Amino acid sequence: MWKEIEKRESGRVRPRSFANRVKSSRVASLQLSNHKDIVSPHKGSVNSLQVDLTEGRYLLSGASDASAAVYDVQQPQKLEGGGLIAKHKPIFVIDKQHEHRHKYAISSAIWYPIDTGLFVTGSYDHYIKVWDTNSTQAVMNFKMPGKVYSTSMSSLATSHMLIAAGTEDVQVRLCDIASGAFAHTLSGHRDGVMTVQWSNSSEYVLVTGGCDGAIRFWDIRRAGCFRVLDQSHSQLGRRPPLLERSAMTKGSTSRSSSGGQNMSKATAVSRKSSHGNGAKHSGSNRISAKGSIKHRLHPGMLSSQDRATAHYGAVTGLKISEDGMYLFSAGSDSRLRLWDIESGCNTLVNFETVRLQTNKPIQLSVSEDSALVFVPCMTVVKAFDFWSGKTYFTFRGHYEYVNCCCYSALDQELYTGGNDRQILVWSPFISYEADEGTTRNEDSWSD
Amino acid sequence: MSTQDPSSSSPSKGTKRRRDEEEAAAADDAETAASESLEQSLTFSDTLVALRMMRAQFPHIDKVSIRPFVLRSQLYSSVVDRTQVDRELESLRRTKVLRIFKLNTGQDDHAIMFLDDYLNQIERAVKRMEEKNVHDLEVFEWFKIHVIDTRLEPNISHQDLCSLLSLGGKVKDNQISVLINGGVIIRQLIDPSMYWFAIPNVGSMLKGLSQGRKELLSLLSRRRYKEMLLASLEKKRLRLSPLDMRFHLRDLIGSGHLKTIKTPTGLVVRISKE
Repeated sequence: MWKEIEKRESGRVRPRSFANRVKSSRVASLQLSNHKDIVSPHKGSVNSLQVDLTEGRYLLSGASDASAAVYDVQQPQKLEGGGLIAKHKPIFVIDKQHEHRHKYAISSAIWYPIDTGLFVTGSYDHYIKVWDTNSTQAVMNFKMPGKVYSTSMSSLATSHMLIAAGTEDVQVRLCDIASGAFAHTLSGHRDGVMTVQWSNSSEYVLVTGGCDGAIRFWDIRRAGCFRVLDQSHSQLGRRPPLLERSAMTKGSTSRSSSGGQNMSKATAVSRKSSHGNGAKHSGSNRISAKGSIKHRLHPGMLSSQDRATAHYGAVTGLKISEDGMYLFSAGSDSRLRLWDIESGCNTLVNFETVRLQTNKPIQLSVSEDSALVFVPCMTVVKAFDFWSGKTYFTFRGHYEYVNCCCYSALDQELYTGGNDRQILVWSPFISYEADEGTTRNEDSWSD
Repeated sequence: MSTQDPSSSSPSKGTKRRRDEEEAAAADDAETAASESLEQSLTFSDTLVALRMMRAQFPHIDKVSIRPFVLRSQLYSSVVDRTQVDRELESLRRTKVLRIFKLNTGQDDHAIMFLDDYLNQIERAVKRMEEKNVHDLEVFEWFKIHVIDTRLEPNISHQDLCSLLSLGGKVKDNQISVLINGGVIIRQLIDPSMYWFAIPNVGSMLKGLSQGRKELLSLLSRRRYKEMLLASLEKKRLRLSPLDMRFHLRDLIGSGHLKTIKTPTGLVVRISKE
C-alpha cells in the first residue's frame, strides 16, 4: 500500500488509476460486514433500497408492511462490541401509525435526485406519494390506475421534474412534481410495466421493461417509443470502431431481412398502401387485410405494432451502466442480457444464472466504471463481470429471497434487502487485532 | 483445452483406452464417438466440434425416425465459456450452417439442428403426409426455398410467412394449416399472429425429454446425499425416455440443475441447491 502511494507521489502512477486500483481491490474483498450493521425496523420484506445521490450518506428503504425508513450509513447511532461494531438505527420510520402512510406494500422508494429534502414512494395501494424528509409529511399524492411496480426520477434532469411510474396498467405515466398533475402517458406496452429507468445520457430518454417481455426506449418529447429491443438482433461483443463498421453494415443490411426497425417500417408502409389503393400481391393482400387494423396510425405510434420481445418472460430488472452505453436487463425467463443501447443489439454475453425471482421486480446495481454488476438471484447476490459473464463473487447471507441491492460507490459498500426483513451490509474486509483483555491469564472461555 | 480436461478427469486407464480407440477411429468414426463414455468426452474446445460430436452421439431410436438435434444446454455443459458458445452459435446461424428452434419444454430451451438434417426431416414429413393423401404439398417446397433461406430467427409473423410463401405461388389459408399439420410451424400461445418454427415429428422426443429429466432428477434426489458417481450413473437406463442417459446428463448439467465434482475416484454428479 505504501509503495503504491509512493509511486503516485512520484508521478509514476496517475492519480485516477491509483484511485481505481484501490477501489477495485476493495470491491474484490467484499464480504458480510464485521463492523457495520443496519437495524431494520421493517416487519415485511424489504423491496427497495437507495442511497441518496448527492452525498451518498442516507439510505432509504421501502418495505412490504408499508413502512419506509431512512438510515445514516456513515455515522452510527451506537457503537457496540467494544467500539468495533457500528449499529445504524433508522433516523425516522414511516410506519403504520403515520397519518399519511400507504395502505399496502411499498414497492419502490427513491430520493429526489437534486437533494435529500424530498423522497418519493410508490405502493401497491395505487398511490405515489412525495414526502418532505424534514417534516416527514406527504406533500403530494398521485393516484395511479393500478399497482405501482416501479418509479424513477432522472438524475440529469434540469428542465423537468417528472416521476416515471410503471404500474400494472399498460401505460407508463409521467407525474410532474412542479404542477402536481400528470404530464403525459406513454403507450406501447401490451402488459403491465415492471421497471422504469431514466437514461444516464439524456434527460428526456426513458427505458421501460414490461411484463410482456419488451424493453422500450421512449423520448418523452415525442409520442411512441423510438426503439424496441429484440433479443434476436445480436452483435458479437462490443461494436467495432466506426470505420470498420461502415464497411460491415453494407454487407449486413443486405443479409438481414429481419432488422427490427426496418421491418416495422416496411410492414407499416405495405399495410398503409394496401389500405389506400389497390392490391400489389393478390394473395398476401387478402390475408393481410383480414388481420390488420382498420384505422390509420400516427407515424409516431407505429412502434406499438412492433412486437419484438427482449425476454421470453417478463422483464423484472433494468439497469443502465454508468457510462450510459449499455443496458443490463433481467427477465423472468432466468436470463440476464446485456444490450448495446446505441445499436439496440443483444451483445450475447452469457451470465450464468439458474433461477431468478419472477413475480417481483428486482433491483440491480452496477459498480463504478461498470466492471461488475450485482444481481439478486434467489437467496444470494451474485456479482458478474460485465463482459465475460463469469460469476466473480457470490454473497450468501440472507435467509430468504433477496429483492434489492444498492452499491455505494463512495465507500465501496453493497446494501442488500430481502424477504427476511433484513438489510445486510457488505463491506471490504477489515481485520481486527486480538483484543488486549484476552491475552492475560484468560482465554475466550473465561468469565 | 479439450485434450487436457478429459485426460485429467479420468484415470490413466481411461486415456489409454481413448488412445486405443483413436487408433481404431480411423476406420469408423461414428462408432467410436458413440461408444466413448461421458467422462472422457465431457468438455470440448470449440462449439462446432462439440456440435458434431454430440450429433454423432445422438441415440438411435427405432420407432421414430428423427434426425439428430442438440440442445443448447448441452452445449453449455461441454464448452467452458458460455459467451463463446452463444457467439459461435450466432455466427453459425447467420452463415446458415444450422438452425435454432425454441422448444416448449420449460424456460429457454432451444434445439439446434444442422440445416441439412432439418431439410431431411422435412422431406420425411412430406413423404409421410403424401402417404396419407394430403393435398397441397407444394407449399412445403415454397417453404423450403423461400422461407427457410431468408428467415433465420426461430419465429415468424403471419404476414411475413404469407408474403414469403406467395413468392412461390398463390397462398391459400388451408395451406397454412397444412404446414401446421406437417409440424414445421407452430402457432404461438401468447400472440396469435406469430409462429414458431418447429421440427416435424419431434413431439414424442420432447415428451421423452421432459419425463426423462424428471426421472433423472428424482433418481438422484432419492439418494441420501443426492449424488452419484458419473460412471455408474451412465450405465443406468431411463424408463420413460427414449433418449439415452448421456443426453439427459449433458442437458441437466448445462442448465444448472446438476453439477459435477472432481473426486479421486472420478466425476461425481450432484443436484445443485440453488
